[in-house]
Amino acid sequence: MELDEPKSQSQEERSRPPIADSAFIFPVWRATRRKHLPDSIFFASGNLERELLAKQVVLEITDEEKLRISCLEEEKQWRMQCPVVGCKAKLNGLQELETHFFTRHTAVCSVCSRVFPTTRLLDLHICESHDSFFQAKVARGHPMFKCLVDGCEAKFLNDASRHQHLVDKHKFPRSYEFHRKRHLSQKQRQRLHKHQGKAKPQDGASASQENDNICESKEGVLQEESAMEVEALTSAVSKLNTGDFLPSNVSFGRRHSRAFAFSAPRGRGRHKSKLNAG
Amino acid sequence: MLNPVDHSPASRRDQFKAAAVGNVAGERRRKQAIIIGKERRDAVVRAKRMRRADDNDEGMMYDEPFSDKIINEETVRAVQELKFLFSSSSKDSSQKKIEALRKLRRLLSCSSNPPVASAVEAGVVPILVKCLEFGSSDEQLVEAAWSLTNIASGDSELTLAILPALPLLIAHLGERSAAPVAEQCAWAVGNVAGEGEQARDLLSSQGALLPLAKLLLLNKPMLVKTAAWALSNIIKGPSSKAAVELFKVDGLSEAIIRHLTKGDEELVVEIAWVVVYITSLAESQTKLLIKSGLLPPLVAWLSSSESLSLLTPVLRSVGNLVAGDNSNTDALLDAAKDLPGGLFGCLVRCLGSEHRTLQKEAAWTVSNIVAGSLQHKQLVFGSRVVPTLLHLLATSTFDVRKEAAFALGNLSVMPAGESQLPQPIMEHLSMLVERGCLPGFINLVKSPDLEASRLGLQFLELVLRGLPNGQGSKLVEKEEGLAALEVLEYHDNDDLRSMANELIDKYYGEDYGLEEEYGPGIAEVVRGGEEYPSWRKGWVVNS
Repeated sequence: MELDEPKSQSQEERSRPPIADSAFIFPVWRATRRKHLPDSIFFASGNLERELLAKQVVLEITDEEKLRISCLEEEKQWRMQCPVVGCKAKLNGLQELETHFFTRHTAVCSVCSRVFPTTRLLDLHICESHDSFFQAKVARGHPMFKCLVDGCEAKFLNDASRHQHLVDKHKFPRSYEFHRKRHLSQKQRQRLHKHQGKAKPQDGASASQENDNICESKEGVLQEESAMEVEALTSAVSKLNTGDFLPSNVSFGRRHSRAFAFSAPRGRGRHKSKLNAG
Repeated sequence: MLNPVDHSPASRRDQFKAAAVGNVAGERRRKQAIIIGKERRDAVVRAKRMRRADDNDEGMMYDEPFSDKIINEETVRAVQELKFLFSSSSKDSSQKKIEALRKLRRLLSCSSNPPVASAVEAGVVPILVKCLEFGSSDEQLVEAAWSLTNIASGDSELTLAILPALPLLIAHLGERSAAPVAEQCAWAVGNVAGEGEQARDLLSSQGALLPLAKLLLLNKPMLVKTAAWALSNIIKGPSSKAAVELFKVDGLSEAIIRHLTKGDEELVVEIAWVVVYITSLAESQTKLLIKSGLLPPLVAWLSSSESLSLLTPVLRSVGNLVAGDNSNTDALLDAAKDLPGGLFGCLVRCLGSEHRTLQKEAAWTVSNIVAGSLQHKQLVFGSRVVPTLLHLLATSTFDVRKEAAFALGNLSVMPAGESQLPQPIMEHLSMLVERGCLPGFINLVKSPDLEASRLGLQFLELVLRGLPNGQGSKLVEKEEGLAALEVLEYHDNDDLRSMANELIDKYYGEDYGLEEEYGPGIAEVVRGGEEYPSWRKGWVVNS
């Protein structure tokens, strides 16, 4: 298997719609031979054993050292920094890494089982997705959508404008989504199509940026509003330099085993009864 | 310090008895391991070997309770005595000179921390060089070379201090020299070569290579063994020059193979290390060796030996060979066909060894074999190698697991074509997945080691792409592979992050899980192509 896979391979290999921000082609497994030179670190343990056996010596190693050595041989990076972007934690060994990860970076929503890298984001998610009180305040026009960046105090009326803020102020890539893509109901799609006929033609991407948590009675109206807003804003915004703040196609909390489980309880109940009736 | 374990009065007395008691001293030395504290650890792992004592040694061995201070003082005195004896004003007999040399040599052989520095500082090297003059007695030559050997077994500074002696040491490697003389000089040269690349180049340019190689043609086991060891230190690279130049000596291939086949184990070990470096660095010389019959004895040892010292270089040689090309693999398969289990039987032995190094290097070897032709992959697939690798992947230490992963992955894809997307070999891949290889690969994805994580991701891609009807996605998720991928979404390594995101986008995108909850045909509805799935009327997508 080649380890220095060049990123550009022939395009025929992948026929899929290009992602907005990257021309990334997956470096697939290739079975290739791997040679090691005599002084390669790969052979170090064997070489060491050779010398020890030849000289018939016994090293005085304490049990603690033995453990350390075996761990060192196990994981090359004994001391490391947490690999999550933005997390500065220093960790010693795989055990600590796993513990740190599961306590700090896997906040799980108890309602819909989605996974978030920080408790703060989990809190925001719960409010915005599972809290009818939140929905009520939104419906009354309070700016409830907080900026996702820790320390930034900005608040917004809806998801789309918050999103624009993230893009403008904090250099998030445009494709970043906090909420999962929403699948519109029959009715909603019909309404959207009608609206689209009037306004500028939208591509699928903008349409799917709709906030999926707006309470049902305001659904149609708010959706249209935010759709227009986004449309207006995105056309005004020039190409952005996405920077290194967060990876380009990150989408938090993708828990696909529970498709549709995240919608607002009210809305869901409504649809369920429809289903039963139907 | 030399620490004999037994402190009883009886054994202490033994140390000072004459060697007429038989081979007590030698035996004791062989049986007792020398315990070395942390400070001297570096001395041990170097590719240099100090010569301690002789089986025929008479007289006192310098041992505890002599303190370092006393020994250093003794050494300086010994050097001064030598200086006097070898000065022009001295009329003393050669016997006295030899005794003085012997005293010095013993001081320099006494412990794990010999007074080498004191000796050098006192100016011993020029005298020793003088002792190496042509026409000197064999005894004198051996004693002088022995002292130089031990001086060169230490730190860089001290090793390099004996450079003035090199031309003479090399000269005494010639065929006219008595065997003990040649052996001791080879030993000294070997220690210098163990110093580093520069030292090796120096030795080559001073012409040490060919005389040493010629010593391999002889039939004297002790001498050949030491010469082979010294040679291995010189040719180990990274430049292939020395390994190639070696073969200027006529009959070297045959001699190597002869010793490999008939030699006693200790000799075979040293010769095998020479073979390791040749197979790693000198391609056409390797082919030459193969043609001369290298492979049968090599695989025979691989199949029968129980000794770690022997198996290590033999296995590594085989590993180097299959890292070359398909024809080497074929030649090995052929050479081993009459052994129990064939080549793979040998490798299974190593994979099942209790020594991690053997397991690791055996798995590496397999990974290169299955990077060959489709036939090679099929041969391995049908052997007991696979269950062993699966076991290692699930249970062993990290470095072994990684190699096992390489092997299993290489086994699962068609040989690398040119620009096509390499296809998985469905028969192999599905069997491996069935036998539970996924957790092991997913574990690697979670590893802090970037290369291992990348490897795991690549295998997951194979599974996700290769298994039909979305089985791959379900299986990977079931084994918590999706969770592992999601974790990498935030990783700060661009490569890993992009790879993980790509897999999530492609295989766990919007449509994933829909069919399970809402039945087939849902995908089209969601995308807006159809109003209803074909099988249901009046049904609404839950938003």
